[in-house]
Amino acid sequence: MIITRRHLPRRTFLKGIGTAIALPMLDAMVPALPVGRTNVAAPVRLAFVYVPNGIVMKDWTPKTAGRGFEFTRILKPLEPFRDDLLVLSGLDDHNGNALGDGPGDHARAGASVLTGVHCKKTAGADIQNGISADQVVAQALGAKTRFPSIELGCEDSRTVGNCDSGYSCAYTNSISWRTPTTPMPPEVNPRQAFERLFGTADYSLDPATRARRAEYRKSILDMVRADTEKLNKSLGTADRRKLDEYLYAIREIEQRISNAEKDQQQVKPGMEKPAGVPITFAEYARLMFDLQVVAFQADLTRVTTLMIGREGSMRVYPEIDVPDPHHPLTHHRNNPDWIERVTKINCLHTEVFASFLSKLKATKEAGGTLLDHSMIVYLSGLSDGNHHTHEELPVLIAGRGDGSVKPGRHVVCKKGTPMTNLYLALLDRMGVQPERLGDSTGKLERLTEL
Amino acid sequence: MSRKNLKRLLIILFLLACRAIVPSAPHAESDDGADAFAKTIRPFFEANCLACHSADLKSGGLNLEAYQSMAAITQDRERWEKLVRKLRTGEMPPKGMPRPDRAAVEQVCRLVEDEFARADRLTKPDPGRVTARRLNRSEYNNTVRDLLGVALRPADDFPQDDSGYGFDNIGDVLSLSPVLMEKYLTSAERLARTAVFGADLLKPTMARYRAGQKVTPRKTPLMDYDVTGLSLPNATHVTHRFPVDGEYIVRAILGGERPAGSEALQLCLWIDGQQAQVIQFDPDRVASFVNDRQEIGGMAQDFRARVTAGDHWLAVSLLKLYEGLPADYNGPNPSKRPKPPPPEFRPPPKATPERIAELKKEFDTRLAETVPANDARIVTVEIGGPYNQTKGPSAASLKLIYTCGHLDGHHRAGCAHKIVADMAHRAYRRPVTAQEVNQLASLVTMAERHGDSFEEGLVQAIEAMLVSPHFLFRIERGQATGGTDAALPLTDYELASRLSYFLWSSMPDDELLACADRGTLKQAEVLALQVRRMLKDPKSHALVENFGGQWLELRKLESIKPDRARFPDFDEYLRMSMRRETEMFFDNVVREDRSVLDFVDGNYTFLNERLAQLYKIPGVSGPEFRRVDLTGTERGGVLTQASVLTVSSYATRTSPVLRGKWILENFLNAPPPPPPPDVPNLDEAKIGQAGSLREQLEQHRANPTCASCHARMDPLGFGLENFDAIGAWRTRDGKFAIDATGTLPDGRSFTGPRELKAILRAERDSFAEGLTEKLLTYALGRGLERYDRPTVKQITKRLAADDYRFSTLVLEIVKSLPFQMRRGEQAL
Repeated sequence: MIITRRHLPRRTFLKGIGTAIALPMLDAMVPALPVGRTNVAAPVRLAFVYVPNGIVMKDWTPKTAGRGFEFTRILKPLEPFRDDLLVLSGLDDHNGNALGDGPGDHARAGASVLTGVHCKKTAGADIQNGISADQVVAQALGAKTRFPSIELGCEDSRTVGNCDSGYSCAYTNSISWRTPTTPMPPEVNPRQAFERLFGTADYSLDPATRARRAEYRKSILDMVRADTEKLNKSLGTADRRKLDEYLYAIREIEQRISNAEKDQQQVKPGMEKPAGVPITFAEYARLMFDLQVVAFQADLTRVTTLMIGREGSMRVYPEIDVPDPHHPLTHHRNNPDWIERVTKINCLHTEVFASFLSKLKATKEAGGTLLDHSMIVYLSGLSDGNHHTHEELPVLIAGRGDGSVKPGRHVVCKKGTPMTNLYLALLDRMGVQPERLGDSTGKLERLTEL
Repeated sequence: MSRKNLKRLLIILFLLACRAIVPSAPHAESDDGADAFAKTIRPFFEANCLACHSADLKSGGLNLEAYQSMAAITQDRERWEKLVRKLRTGEMPPKGMPRPDRAAVEQVCRLVEDEFARADRLTKPDPGRVTARRLNRSEYNNTVRDLLGVALRPADDFPQDDSGYGFDNIGDVLSLSPVLMEKYLTSAERLARTAVFGADLLKPTMARYRAGQKVTPRKTPLMDYDVTGLSLPNATHVTHRFPVDGEYIVRAILGGERPAGSEALQLCLWIDGQQAQVIQFDPDRVASFVNDRQEIGGMAQDFRARVTAGDHWLAVSLLKLYEGLPADYNGPNPSKRPKPPPPEFRPPPKATPERIAELKKEFDTRLAETVPANDARIVTVEIGGPYNQTKGPSAASLKLIYTCGHLDGHHRAGCAHKIVADMAHRAYRRPVTAQEVNQLASLVTMAERHGDSFEEGLVQAIEAMLVSPHFLFRIERGQATGGTDAALPLTDYELASRLSYFLWSSMPDDELLACADRGTLKQAEVLALQVRRMLKDPKSHALVENFGGQWLELRKLESIKPDRARFPDFDEYLRMSMRRETEMFFDNVVREDRSVLDFVDGNYTFLNERLAQLYKIPGVSGPEFRRVDLTGTERGGVLTQASVLTVSSYATRTSPVLRGKWILENFLNAPPPPPPPDVPNLDEAKIGQAGSLREQLEQHRANPTCASCHARMDPLGFGLENFDAIGAWRTRDGKFAIDATGTLPDGRSFTGPRELKAILRAERDSFAEGLTEKLLTYALGRGLERYDRPTVKQITKRLAADDYRFSTLVLEIVKSLPFQMRRGEQAL
């Protein structure tokens, strides 16, 4: 039988313990999410999910444009969200190209994908890039939420020592840039990301058990305090001084507990606190996606970036029988075995992304679901990893941006359209209207039309 | 001289000698005493000291004219103690002044010391008072292990304990902050739940360790090398704390390259020095950018192994590194694979002729390069887990908790009382009152009343015990009867706790508690038997770890970071090996009951291949440590062990000053005072440039303020200059030849470590006294006071009489007045 705290007169706890010190009542800590905007329109959220090293395009791009296209092998896991997806083909990141700077396509791809700027080739401290699309939003809307933006990643940048061909690691480590010289490195440890968002409390127990345990603990504190007060009377001066420290500490903790009970303003997460970095890629990525969900849900931020891997990623995927590091594998030199392995990695990424979408879709809020109010951009800075192609990039948008995006289609853009035109269009839907962004030439106009 | 006169002279000399040895009877100020002062001490001062320490000059604030009688000596004892020390060491009179002859110095010193001894006999013995001691981190971890049978080490996350008098178990110094109290609460809950229900099921997580070691490329393979790969820089060593028993993944991430056509690599996982698993890894089977060589950077291989909770030393190495290379490398056991055809040059289709020429040049250069024979390495080790975690409480926990006889539930009302009473008896290390038991048992009832299980109730009771001051502190009150307030005997339980925390850093075990229950622990033969039993028990390793770790400063080894550029050989493996050597040496002194003088110059040690390499001692191969005879080498004793040599050095160079200070403090019981505030530092940039370190230090000593202390420190340190900053032997330091000679202020001189150690061995009285003081401080958990002096003297004397055997030292401490008694609150 579980008794909720409401049925627990606090005298019961103290009976038989021989103490009568008044304790503050415990106000049960309700773990429900504080989404209190029941009558307020939900805000539009923007997220960028980045996959490194390009995608096997023949298994990505749908054969037909418009509605009713057939889902290709890599897109297949996303088929349940057909009506929430807008697949975009033909967008370019021209500034990822060498433009006379020689090798270093991976670094340039990562650096320019959200900025549309050709970054300066340097391995030193004089890095120079542009401001990324997400940070333009963060600067405009940041004051409305606890965090202007959140940057997450699923790959510790330290796995690879050598950054790309004379380019600083800053370019491959971050797609998000607050200023042309300030990258925003992603948080890769889920536990630390969680603690940043929600503090260090642990919410893994059900509220009734937690309340009961809190009461037990108070009884214990009560007991040892009374005991020590009695003990102290029989001790010499030096010993008493030591035990006084103990008593002071006990009283301070009791005070802190009572203050915490009074303070009900804390935001509570809808997930357990992560223990650390999970072991398989899928578990790891799901956890990072979960953090995104709860951050959006609790309206802690409105714009995020999540790097599935850093550009040039050397991650191995033994759990899907790909023991080879990702990056060399993408330079497959048309070896069909290797292409197959890259495709497997690409599919794993979309599978995990699909589970993220299903969580967003399952989260109800005023006027629809979290997915309805979001624009989740899934993209890579390269199309063909083998040839370092920066044109015709793989891009898709999930969600409806609160009705401002019309999904369910495959849109083929005019040849040579900059990616940044898409960003201008998305930013516009969040009420942010910069004149231009990197190499943009105007707002992409086909997000709502047919 | 006539025969009669000669006889008279001999009698006088005899009497004089007797007085020096046999202390005079206790009497207050006597003519005799006044005579001795006037006859011997005063003239000595006049002849040797008053030039500076007169009433007018008072050099260094000392006026020796102020003292007129023997009584003055005990009245200003501190100063006279210092005076004796400075005279004995030859520090005074200072260099350049005429030196009194040794016999005269000794005569004065003896007289003063006799006076001390007389005064000591007159004062009543005082056992001192030890302040309630909070369990420190190591004691907490060991105690909960022994109390509850759990393998957690919660105190590793507690804040660092403060230390005083050189140790971190001093009652007066150990404090308790609210932060620590909060940790006690959290840890108590976790411990109680783990003991009753088993460890929390943890979600597997990953931790990463990067080695960052340097591999010096070799074009040709070695034929004679460490085939385990453990002592090569290609391996990575880590110490990882495993939270619970379970299965873990150890992922090795590789770096470097191998020649094309090499055979599979053999990756080997080692756990605590034991080979656990081998993986064949063939780089040809996985994707890479090129085929003219095997590029293995970033490739990863997973081991899976069951590991028990706690700290473990893990290593991943490459076995037989130089085998399986292409035949033209002429290495051992070459590759049987056919030599792969040289790669073709294929220019990109749209490239310009200039670009093609450029690419062709790059291609040819690369082709002409020889891939090193030893470049493959482990760069990163990731440890992930736990999987298949052991579920439920441990058998040890069940046995320790459910003392009512049945482990499988069906507990009746009486069980709670019995279980709680037995647990509290052990947790509080003393008999518990009925009221205490009732209170704890009421927590069980409370939980049951609110719908929780009996076991959940036990968790609450255990939690309460673990945060009780009776558990967290060792509070002593002494026995109500059997002594005076000036010296109360401890109860048998208090004595049992003192013993166990002294020798095991943990609570008393059942046998010790049983002795206390029976009230027999104070019987001499029982006590001696228990001490010997405890020293033989593996738990006495705590004494090595905690006392040894602080006395010999081994704990510093963990945080020391020798300069990578200067000491590329230093890696985690060497650090671990250094520590292990000294701990095994100390363990051996304890278990084999060796002479404590072995610390000074025992001619044996314990080595594995890694350390033997550093010491250049042949014939030691493999990771296991073994006893090695050092006869005929320059090493012997802890002073020439790499651990001590490293902790007494700077990151970039040796420091004769630090090493001299180390010897004075830890071996000669004569710690130098801290340097005065406005002394210039050595100009680090100039060291090894303009002149040798020795020359620079000599300049430093030209300053008379510095000279008084450095004249004692530096020469000792110079005796060890043949050992570099990580303890390897050397004969040159940069462009300068090593000069390991030294002259002590008293005129004794030596060349090299062997002669230095001979001098230290001659100082065995000081060594033994210093060690006694330190071990007594550690045993009592308080700083020593003047009234402890007779105790120290007596222990030291008995130690010398019994060939300096370690067990004698421990037993004498245990039998001593301050260990057996405590001063009452009223007495002072």
